Amino acid sequence: MGLAAARAIAPTLSVIARDPAREASALEALACGCGRFTPRLALAPPAALLLEIGGCLRLFGGLDTLLDAVQTDIAAQGYRAQAAVAPTPQGALWLAQAAAGGGVPRCADAAGLAAALDALPLAPLDLPPAAKELLAGFGVRRLGAARRLPQASLAKRIGAAEVLALARAYGEVPDPRRDFVFPERFAQGIELPAPVDNTAALLFAARRLTAALAGWLAARQAGIQSCRLRLEHRDLPPTGIELRFAAITRDGARLERVLRERLERLALVAPVESLHLEVAAVETLPGASAALFDTAGGGAAGMAALVERLRARLGEDFVHGLAGVADHRPECATQHVAQGGAVAVEAAGPRPFWLLPEPEPIGERGGRPWRNGPLRLLAGPERIESGWWDGGESTGDARRDYFVALTPDARWAWVFRELRAPGGWFLHGWFA
Amino acid sequence: MGALAEVLARPDVWRGDRCAVAPLPSVPSGFGELDAELPGGGWPRGALTELLLDGAGLGELGLLMPALRALRAEGGWSLVVGAPYPLHAPAWAAAGIDLARMLVVSPAQPRDALWAAEQALASGAPGAVLCWASKADARAVRRLQVAAAAGGAAAFLFRPQSAAREASVAPLRLELSAAPAGRLAISILKRRGPPCVAPLELDLPRPASWREDHEHPVAGAVPAPTAPRSAFRPAWA
Repeated sequence: MGLAAARAIAPTLSVIARDPAREASALEALACGCGRFTPRLALAPPAALLLEIGGCLRLFGGLDTLLDAVQTDIAAQGYRAQAAVAPTPQGALWLAQAAAGGGVPRCADAAGLAAALDALPLAPLDLPPAAKELLAGFGVRRLGAARRLPQASLAKRIGAAEVLALARAYGEVPDPRRDFVFPERFAQGIELPAPVDNTAALLFAARRLTAALAGWLAARQAGIQSCRLRLEHRDLPPTGIELRFAAITRDGARLERVLRERLERLALVAPVESLHLEVAAVETLPGASAALFDTAGGGAAGMAALVERLRARLGEDFVHGLAGVADHRPECATQHVAQGGAVAVEAAGPRPFWLLPEPEPIGERGGRPWRNGPLRLLAGPERIESGWWDGGESTGDARRDYFVALTPDARWAWVFRELRAPGGWFLHGWFA
Repeated sequence: MGALAEVLARPDVWRGDRCAVAPLPSVPSGFGELDAELPGGGWPRGALTELLLDGAGLGELGLLMPALRALRAEGGWSLVVGAPYPLHAPAWAAAGIDLARMLVVSPAQPRDALWAAEQALASGAPGAVLCWASKADARAVRRLQVAAAAGGAAAFLFRPQSAAREASVAPLRLELSAAPAGRLAISILKRRGPPCVAPLELDLPRPASWREDHEHPVAGAVPAPTAPRSAFRPAWA
């Protein structure tokens, strides 16, 4: 039926042209994603993937679990797939093509495979149409009947390649397939069918990219510490989102979670036309073997995941560790670092847990510091003179006498008297 | 009678005249008098402890330091969320906290602090979480308690003293105030056990020894102003 006739019947028909290049790249992205299950894949274009799962059944805990995992993974990326399991790749491909939907055809051994293949109709298989017409002319409707014909003369009529495919499907002839080579660098993109301006829809598309990335990393036994998501707009320069992780990871769920936190906080400047996920550097991350006995959960891995979740939501500056700096001036003695460290210098006197961001000036009456009442000085003075090299920027030269004081409402404070002109008393910290 | 004894032996049933048995091992607080009054003999793990006080400087952190040191020995992380003032690293290190296993979260918004505390508690990764929330309502406190129960960490929430009048789901609530002679007075407002009648008074390690007020100030006279450094010229210049 031509396009004009179709439009005459249904005027509101929407027509999308097939784009073989995008289909091929989507198939490759899906193959990368399935790298999570097995390192040996083959592409069977236009729309089929062959996964060699004989070696990894035990790792995934059986065929049922593995099938469930594969199907949920593919469904999460928004694809619909028909699966079939067989001892030969061609046999599995034909079983999937001919499957009516619903269950997953499974054959455990050669006899089961022969029985299942015999019953397949010829029409849905990917044989050339001329061969199918010829076989229909012979009255052959099922594969089993085609196999019972003398193969040599059949090869002369429909072609040797098709007869070879038949033999390969039944397992009589080996069927080497070229393994899918996972790309050296991961840089995949998705073109959105229409410009998108809300981040929830972006997350759905980005999920395919993170699944592909996770599978690619699993196949290469590598992990990443950072990756970059680029959102392309039509007229504006692209927006880039940098995702950073506290520890090297290849967990797809963690990638997706961090991406979701970032996308929820992002305000789009313009509708997004396409997404690209790029990875700059990968580090090797071999698999971890589980302990024989279950040890207590959490530990360093749980803490790293928590830290990066907090950083993704709150911002990197607000989540930090503490490290000490070898400086006598108290306000310079603390450093905010990504990961806390040892303190460099031992303080000579008592130090408060809380240090005010700016010393608060307090009054003086009768020679005593005054803050809602006279402060009782209990220890000191501790003279701190340092920072002569600072020359006025930041803290500068500090010359102070520090005292431990008790306020009238019985709180322990750290006060100092400034020795440079104009002097005065200041409150600098609280001993909590 | 056997069935009744079984029911009474369960950890989530406590008899009115005795303190409850804590479901998880508690962290000893380091103060014998306090441990004697707390159910389980220490700070509860997997539950929220509310500490009610106004301002800072009473000794609230000194009260928790022995417990945090005990957690350090186990290798757990400590999280400080929403601290009222910036932390002074040398003091924390001198108190015995391992800075390599401490994380400070200081978000700009108070509700982000509550969110961060809830995430940290729910994940079960840190050993102790200290959270300051001046405006935590009952719902937020309940979420923290649920998260703490899920994760199993020791959770401490600091709230203003005005919150003592409100009801709260936290199983342990202490009100801190100053006692004479530099001690800390603790009233246990709520615990899994009989109500505590009299407030405790604890001697905390203080930065200086307390003594009576004298009439004359300790500071002495104002020192003579020193010459500014820029006026100094070395002999060889």
